[in-house]
Amino acid sequence: MLRVALRGVRAHLVRFVLSTLAVMLGVAFVVGTFTFRAMLSSTFDEIIATTLVADVYVRGAEEIDDSTTAGSTFGTPHSPVPVSLADTVAGVDGVARAVPDASGPIVLVAADGTAVTTSGPPSIGIAVGPDEPTVTLASGAWPVGPAEIALEESAASAADLTTGDTTTVVLAGAPQPVTVTGVFAIEAAAAGTILVGLDPATALATYAPDGTVPTISVYAAGDVSEEVLAERVAEVLPAGAESLTGEAVREEARQGVEQILGFIETFLLVFAAIALFVGAFIIANTFAMSVRERQREFALLRALGASPAQVFASILAQAVAVGVLGAATGVVLGRVLVSGLRAVFGSTGMELSGRVPLSATSVVVAISLGVLVSVVAAAVPGRRAALTPPVQAMHDDVAPDRGTGTRAVLGLVLTVLGAGLLVLASRLGSSASADPTGWALVDDLNPRVLLAVGASAALVGVLVLSPAIAGAVITVLAVPAVAAIRPLGRLARGNVTRSPRRTSNTAGALLIGMALVSATGVIAASTQASVRSIVDEQMRADYVVQGAAATGALPPGVTDAVTGLPAVGQALPLRLGTLDVDGEPSGATVVPPGFFTEALDAPVVEGDPDQALADGEAVVRRTAARDKGWAVGDSLTLTSDDGTRTQDVQVGAIIDTQVISSDLVLADATYADVGATEIPTYAVYVTAAPGTSTTELRAALTEAVKPFLVVSVLDREELANAAAAQVDQVLVILYALLGLSIVIALLGIVNTLALSIIERTREIGLLRAVGLGRLQLAGIITIESVLTAVYGTVLGVLTGIAIAAALPGVLAEQGLTSLAIPWGQVLAVLGLAVVIGLVASVWPGIRASRLPVLEAVTVD
Amino acid sequence: MEPAPSSPGPPAPTRSGTGAAPALPPDAPDGTAAWARDLVKTYGQGETVVRALDGVDVDFRAAELTAIMGPSGSGKSTLMHCMAGLDSPTSGRVVIDGTEVSRLSQRRLTALRRTRIGFVFQSYNLVPTLTAAENITLPLDIARVPVDRAWFDEVVGAVGLGDRLHHRPSELSGGQQQRVACARALVSRPSVVFADEPTGNLDSRSSAEVLGFLRRSVDELGQTVVMVTHDPRAASYAHRVLFLTDGRITADLAAPTRRDILDTLGQAEED
Repeated sequence: MLRVALRGVRAHLVRFVLSTLAVMLGVAFVVGTFTFRAMLSSTFDEIIATTLVADVYVRGAEEIDDSTTAGSTFGTPHSPVPVSLADTVAGVDGVARAVPDASGPIVLVAADGTAVTTSGPPSIGIAVGPDEPTVTLASGAWPVGPAEIALEESAASAADLTTGDTTTVVLAGAPQPVTVTGVFAIEAAAAGTILVGLDPATALATYAPDGTVPTISVYAAGDVSEEVLAERVAEVLPAGAESLTGEAVREEARQGVEQILGFIETFLLVFAAIALFVGAFIIANTFAMSVRERQREFALLRALGASPAQVFASILAQAVAVGVLGAATGVVLGRVLVSGLRAVFGSTGMELSGRVPLSATSVVVAISLGVLVSVVAAAVPGRRAALTPPVQAMHDDVAPDRGTGTRAVLGLVLTVLGAGLLVLASRLGSSASADPTGWALVDDLNPRVLLAVGASAALVGVLVLSPAIAGAVITVLAVPAVAAIRPLGRLARGNVTRSPRRTSNTAGALLIGMALVSATGVIAASTQASVRSIVDEQMRADYVVQGAAATGALPPGVTDAVTGLPAVGQALPLRLGTLDVDGEPSGATVVPPGFFTEALDAPVVEGDPDQALADGEAVVRRTAARDKGWAVGDSLTLTSDDGTRTQDVQVGAIIDTQVISSDLVLADATYADVGATEIPTYAVYVTAAPGTSTTELRAALTEAVKPFLVVSVLDREELANAAAAQVDQVLVILYALLGLSIVIALLGIVNTLALSIIERTREIGLLRAVGLGRLQLAGIITIESVLTAVYGTVLGVLTGIAIAAALPGVLAEQGLTSLAIPWGQVLAVLGLAVVIGLVASVWPGIRASRLPVLEAVTVD
Repeated sequence: MEPAPSSPGPPAPTRSGTGAAPALPPDAPDGTAAWARDLVKTYGQGETVVRALDGVDVDFRAAELTAIMGPSGSGKSTLMHCMAGLDSPTSGRVVIDGTEVSRLSQRRLTALRRTRIGFVFQSYNLVPTLTAAENITLPLDIARVPVDRAWFDEVVGAVGLGDRLHHRPSELSGGQQQRVACARALVSRPSVVFADEPTGNLDSRSSAEVLGFLRRSVDELGQTVVMVTHDPRAASYAHRVLFLTDGRITADLAAPTRRDILDTLGQAEED
């Protein structure tokens, strides 16, 4: 029987090629994800191993809220330690050197006069010199004094600068002319980070102006183990500081990286799973059709004494062959993909680790997945084939399509259930009261879980329901084609609707992809609309001065440069600090009094925010108040990060805005009592002086921030656009990932068309015999293809929009307040469906029109 | 009912040798709907070559039902396929209604099939997704020619399917399906209708219905029908029966009875 099965695959190779292709793409995605993660992992391991080389690290014992640290260190950020502690530590027996680690943001101006920007990684200034173990001089000399810098090799090429060139850097907010004295190398791949070397004194002066640094690196002299040295150093440390072995810090850093990579991996695997799921549709369809077509062959085998189990096994054997072949090629393709990705990253300046590792585990997992998906997909049609009585199989030309009654009921129930859950999720999420339905059991449900379950149920429901409604829906969709292209439209419609189950399965693959695409589109559009309406409704200031890189802090000098301008009425800096609230690390937004009158009109839940700031009280966000049970008049205990200063502050007002992301807002004076003196400014809200036009103000501001290079001046419109542009970037990535499942769905349409043409050979022969031209035949197949694609897309888009419509309710607190359906984009997606249909029909159309009429007529 | 037209052909029964020089002039006599000269069709090459048609000369007269008979492998289907432009002959000429079929491009052939030729096959004659009426007008729809309602009604009336027009093929009996196929073959007023074993899959009652209709289409509607069959009863409906053996026409009977046909077949087997 195995031989029969394998001969079957060989005899009908084309039929299986597309299934194999579907498995291959899905598996390639999985392998690609694993490999990409492993590559990133090894890249970061290298970076960690070559940058965290000290034997012992000294840092503050307190963990701090990491929302404001600019990601300059790996792992959990801790409170800083005084630079002077380095001298104390250096005196410990066995310590060769103790170096305060001063590094931070820098702006480097390239040879063409513009600031060097990257697609994400920061520009960082680090201390370099002959004593620094992580860097080696490649050419030139180490910088000495604030007027000299050295550049890491990839930074030098990104900026097109070399030894001897003069340029400008923005250090501590002040632009200053510098000379490049040398080029240095680091052992690890820089992964896109622009590294600028400063002499250690300059680095300390720049990045530790308050005399504290995040860590002190301690290097051992002679044969002292890291553990012993860490213990010895610990003995001389004051309270609030701790010493760790290098290995412990490296491990912590690795775990931090692994955690982030784990998120990325999970994220990518979700899309891989979608691709495989879509692929399973194609495989199921292929086997369903091939089984129907070969019913006589199975009947013959049964008549010759093969048991149903043997027939079933022979079909499964084919599925395994498809799975193994698809998965094996998929593994290769996945690896090639990652190599390609690496080249792409490399060409955009992000050097990644040279190794593209392919672990045995991921190969085994990928191949098992491929086989599993094909076997599961083939099992249902296989079982049907095995159980068909031989006589019936011998008799029937084509077995009739089974009824869709049960599926209709089941599908309807699931769809309605899903829709109900989505409505409920939306209600629960958006409700202001604690018990929107009055039933404790229901009110306690998590809206996000409801949303996920509801969305899945709705999607599966529509998939199950699809065969029952395909006929009616396609009849409607086909109206233009039937009316405009006679009689081809009618013939094509008949072909698409005659087997609703098959059409639904074919369209199902596209349905899933398109549902996700349109849901994503709606979410993106809604997010952009929400951002826009928030900016429109809440922004009071005329302009916002902020860093060009959306997440970056402003150089320190900007506030002063802006405040002094005659055109400026008010300049209100928004700073972010860290502290402990009731013992929990937290971020705080720090603003001057008057902020909520002049800069931001935040919706007020209770109290008067400006008055609260003026009175030295805290303003808290509604969500924080709800989650932590804070009410106006409550007292909060604020403690500085190092635990040395404590103060009780009353909650003075509750606001509900998405512009501010931290739990509480404090006035400058209040924060000064419990926080660090130097905290980064993220934006300066500016209003025009009386009698000054906004145009004049803009010109003045633009001129004032020009020396800082990476600072931009945005009005409301531009602020909204900048936020919208970020959404667009994410959107592009999501679309690219979803694109794969759409390509697979396209293959599915090709597959179904090709197989249905084989099934319909005689009918095609008949049509050709009574005078149907080749182009007309190709036209019928094209219309079929387009109808199938549009059907899947229409259903998918409707489902996607329905799912996304529930999101503003659930995600209102994340700033998604209004629902916007991008109709233009929906039309574009429908247009895309037509294109997919056209593309998918090319090969089957050519194949069909090349069928010799006589053979088609006289075929058995 | 009009009287059956008298056969202008040679007195029956007779046997005409083939392979000799064409006895007929290159251009066929008046009243010929389709004709072929020195038609040869070979399959395979070298040692394994099979001559399916071995120099056939034949005329199909207009307004006549001609049956082609012969044992399996005699070349009768090949003759029909070559006549109908479904297959291209190795050599020789085929002319339908004044058009030389053997010289046409694929595109022209397709156009010829939908305007000048009607087909009825043994089985699978109808497009399952179309109703009976849509199946009947299919060739006109394909050619984008408006349906002649009067002719359509006449044809449909003659097949006796008036009340089944809006049914799908799956809701019709085998005989009804075949009558729909006949109506389709006639609806474009073709020069010739080729029917390939039209009763091969039918019981005797349905066969009689279909054959009766084909005969009436000739007698009453003035159509020309060429029918391949191996059933003597079916052939007995014809005005004229041609016998094919090993790719040659071996007998030509005019208005034969079933007995005449059986006799000729018997003789052919003795040869």
